[in-house]
Amino acid sequence: MIYNNKDYKSLHIQVNDGVGFIAFNQPDNENKINLSMANDIRAICEEFNFSSEVNVVLITGTGKYFCGGDDENSVSPEISDQLRNEIYRMQNFRVAKSLLNIDKPVVCAINGDAIGHGLEIAMCSDIRLAVPNAKFSMPQIIHGSMPWDGGTQLLPRLIGRSNASELLMTGKTINSKKALSIGLIESVIPKPKLLTEAKTLANSISKLGPIATRYAKEAVLKGIDMTIEQGMRLEMDLNLLLQTTEDRAEGLSSFMDKRTPKFTGK
Amino acid sequence: MNNSFPTIIYQKSGRVASIILNRPHVLNAHNIQMRDDLYQILEAVRDDTDVTCITLTGAGERSFCTGADLTEFGTAPSRIIARQVRWERDLWGLMLSINKPIIAGLHGYVLGSGMEMAMLCDIRIASHDAIFGMPEAALGMIPVAGGTQILPRTIGIGKTMSLLLTHKNISAQDAKDMGAVNEVVDRESLWHHVIKTAEQISSHDGLSLESIKVNVRNGLDSPILEALNAEYNTALNMIMARTLYLPV
Repeated sequence: MIYNNKDYKSLHIQVNDGVGFIAFNQPDNENKINLSMANDIRAICEEFNFSSEVNVVLITGTGKYFCGGDDENSVSPEISDQLRNEIYRMQNFRVAKSLLNIDKPVVCAINGDAIGHGLEIAMCSDIRLAVPNAKFSMPQIIHGSMPWDGGTQLLPRLIGRSNASELLMTGKTINSKKALSIGLIESVIPKPKLLTEAKTLANSISKLGPIATRYAKEAVLKGIDMTIEQGMRLEMDLNLLLQTTEDRAEGLSSFMDKRTPKFTGK
Repeated sequence: MNNSFPTIIYQKSGRVASIILNRPHVLNAHNIQMRDDLYQILEAVRDDTDVTCITLTGAGERSFCTGADLTEFGTAPSRIIARQVRWERDLWGLMLSINKPIIAGLHGYVLGSGMEMAMLCDIRIASHDAIFGMPEAALGMIPVAGGTQILPRTIGIGKTMSLLLTHKNISAQDAKDMGAVNEVVDRESLWHHVIKTAEQISSHDGLSLESIKVNVRNGLDSPILEALNAEYNTALNMIMARTLYLPV
């Protein structure tokens, strides 16, 4: 394994079988985001995005929380007032762009509460599983603030305008059952099984054509911001590019021969 | 009226046009011939002023449509030609551009571009036995009949990703739960439900139906203020045309 956990003090990192595993690893602090964690997240996103060993990324948290939001006490002591504190965090804690820049599928195993910035991070993934007792909320509004790492953009794209507005404007907390019913997560898994199920899911995606899964993600994410005509052109062009890959030939011939395909990412 | 094409049964009854995919021996997989037939029929239906509603179903017991006929894959002389042909005769774009409501009746396998074809319709009614799935990524490819575009617009990004990235087939009830299907009915009564829905819709004013479909479809891709203006102008045009007895 080439990844050195010493490089990532706030995260637990592992690469296995094409799956790049990231666990927020500051359980005593509810996995809240501080400067070192934000730096680590940005760095590992870039590393996994470029790594040929990683086809799928799996994000989770250790302990009781997935991510409790920003650690407001972590900024330097000379910043005393609330406003400066928030500006400091806005300038230094942004991670959504780095997460969304991962062009490989990202699975999120929400092991506990995902609050505020923590929920924004979860929404940067493609498929979300959560434990039954996880809590979800966007509480920024209660403190007279609003989300700044993608919350107002990712929520309506995922769960529609009215559900998004309700969460953003009331700051209310919802449970996993409600999150499932509005499409914020894709399934609810009991805690003892969460990681196994998430790894099985990530592994099953990792075994599909890695270029194809990347392109499918690109077509969905970029296409949703285009007109549907433009999106369909993007889809077709990515398809034609895929037809030049060895994986595409392998996919076809394995289907004809009724055997399991062996994809190489070429 | 009842016209037979090599791969499609086409019927017209009252104001409803029915298109039936008819290659049951290969689970209604679409080949070049079927795409040619479909293109011809869709153009005719689009221009036929008698028709105000369209149904799309599959013949045979086992399948609505299992996607493209893989035996024809890679038969284009080059990618350049393939791309040129795709846009010279843009079947899926044509389907999307039909302003008349299209009702899909789905049974058995609804896979790959079969599912995409269903998603390009406006209302989907499935029988209990229907099985949906998007196996493209498992074949080293991605959807190519608009699946990556129409799915997130219909069921949202999260559910789309799990459908496209996991290669898991889902039941009719699951498809309904995720919003990909409007209604699940018994297999024996599927056609009855489809035609009743189509007849009910076709009894409305054709121009109103088209205006609604155009505004819902295009509005999703426009900024909201632009979309509100477009809706207002459509309605105003309709009222003025009717008041002045102008052709619209």
